[in-house]
Amino acid sequence: MKLAYPTALSMALIMGAALPVQAQTPEELGLEISKQVNEQNDGFGDSTANMTMTLINRSGKKSVRRMRSRTLEVSNDGDKSMTIFDEPADVKGTASLTYSHAVEADEQWLFLPALKRVKRISSKNKTGAFMGSEFAFEDISSQEVEKYTYKHLGEEELDGIPVHKIEAYPAYKYSGYTRLVNYVDKERLIGLKVEYYDRKDKLLKTLVLKDYEHHDSKHWRPGRMEMVNEQTGKSTILEFSDYAFGTGLKDKDFSSNALKKLR
Amino acid sequence: MNCFGSITRCSLTLALTLLSISSVSAEWTKRGDVRLQLQGFTDTSLHTAAQSTNLSLSGSAEFNRPIGENGNLTISPFFRLDEHDDERTHVDLREFIYRHSGDTWELNVGLGKVFWGVAESNNLVDIINQRDAVEGINPEHKLGQPMINLLLLKDWGEISLFVLPGFRERTFAGQDGRPRGFFAVDTDNAAYESGDEEKHIDVAARISGAYNEWDIGAHIFHGTARSPILTFPSFTPFYYQVTQAGVDIQATLESWLLKSEVVYRSGEFIDDHAQMVNGFEYSFYSVAESSVDVGVVAEWLYDERGDQADNVFQNDVLVGLRFALNDEQSSEALLGVITDLDGGADVFTAEASRRIGDSFKLILEAFVWANADDDPLLSQLQQEDYLQFEIGYFF
Repeated sequence: MKLAYPTALSMALIMGAALPVQAQTPEELGLEISKQVNEQNDGFGDSTANMTMTLINRSGKKSVRRMRSRTLEVSNDGDKSMTIFDEPADVKGTASLTYSHAVEADEQWLFLPALKRVKRISSKNKTGAFMGSEFAFEDISSQEVEKYTYKHLGEEELDGIPVHKIEAYPAYKYSGYTRLVNYVDKERLIGLKVEYYDRKDKLLKTLVLKDYEHHDSKHWRPGRMEMVNEQTGKSTILEFSDYAFGTGLKDKDFSSNALKKLR
Repeated sequence: MNCFGSITRCSLTLALTLLSISSVSAEWTKRGDVRLQLQGFTDTSLHTAAQSTNLSLSGSAEFNRPIGENGNLTISPFFRLDEHDDERTHVDLREFIYRHSGDTWELNVGLGKVFWGVAESNNLVDIINQRDAVEGINPEHKLGQPMINLLLLKDWGEISLFVLPGFRERTFAGQDGRPRGFFAVDTDNAAYESGDEEKHIDVAARISGAYNEWDIGAHIFHGTARSPILTFPSFTPFYYQVTQAGVDIQATLESWLLKSEVVYRSGEFIDDHAQMVNGFEYSFYSVAESSVDVGVVAEWLYDERGDQADNVFQNDVLVGLRFALNDEQSSEALLGVITDLDGGADVFTAEASRRIGDSFKLILEAFVWANADDDPLLSQLQQEDYLQFEIGYFF
């Protein structure tokens, strides 16, 4: 997830300059704010993080997946990223490499450690469940402005925090959603909540992003994401830890040869 | 470590290696599994091995640690204990390899494992490692190959150069093993075209790269063929010398994966010939609004030599269905049938797996050979249909 922002002060300045509301249509305003949210993410270079994903079924039974991620920022295109799986044990050592693109199809490879095989896989599968969780592939892929069109619905308060309510319509024709409703913190310009509407325009899932931390005084990152499937009652909690930025990762660290060497 | 000799000596060495590894485990990353396997044979065999069930236990692990700034060591031992088949009771080092990484190059020295190819049914281009064929019908089980490998990393892809000092003979089911043909292969008396026998030094090179939707590789190999000719009547393997050149290509176009592997093989003891696998995989994602993915696989396998081919895929078609439930237990299944287009045999296969709890997995496999009366190779397997249950513990 790319959700990183400058300080609240500079943000207030940008917002003050960027919001001559009366001059913009709701579509223009929605796009404008979404661009700012995304632009502030630029300049992180590369990052690494550990992830723990807890799947909770209707009866409350939990199962846990652990992963590590590496991301390389690519200017004027989607990021390159790698995910290494540590748990459950039968997928330990499995790793994926993704070159995401704003408009064209992503490129994706999977490393199967027992066979030492790198397999190119189709990236068309956006709606599928990531590791059996409530997160679809399109929910966790690199978020680019061009992947949606927008509409500003208004301003309201979410748990006492003033937010922009922005509707986003997927540009990708195979998306599992008709629309997303983003709740964006007005001051910090960070996403606090997302509602996902299915192809029948019924509320499918609600994502709450919390425990934000301001890394290196530059990058806002959520420590915890809670996705609830409103139709099945199942949920998934994704926790992030050990965020690091500017770790010196290079383009060559995101090749199929590098994928084979991950441990 | 020499694992070509006595199993006892090798087990001991392995045990000591593992012991020394675990004592400094803080520096090593490790993963692996222990599996209990039960095979059931539905028909009475037409050869000396008469059991209708077979129990075996296997274990594999991979230990990996960095050495200094640019070095890395991987050790991957494997063992199987089999109730009936002495040939299947074996140990191997799948990997014992040191890697040194430079900025634009990499050197790998030791026992290694390399995969080349894109196809599902048969990877013709995958020639570096010998098959550990006693492990199963699927070609995915491989023996560690002694190698010196220099990898040159380029902007456009990579060049991989191999010197392979030392040949590994293919494993086969023994007198008391199933499934197998009428006669057990006499692995103790393997013969070679080269006077250097198993000490012949093979060489290989491959270039590969990914270009948008294309993944392309091309290779050349000169040395001992991995697949032996079985000489009649003693069923002794004969390993001839072969020069092989080939390409493997995959195009990934939304839900379509288009795949091709083509090799041209020549040598003193074989007719020069082409072999190929061409096919596709098409996936239906989230079928009927569910989380289930269904993939359709079709591949055509062809050997220019026709009836003279030393393999069973001279003109065959694989049609398969792949199911991924994408549930919490990662349930998966693959059903397939390989049909001989020249009026020959059918082979039906099924594979399925499902995680149990966090650390266990249940794996099923089945093979059925049918309509094989006119096929001299596959007719021998008609009475060898089996169902295999495996429970694995993963760490």
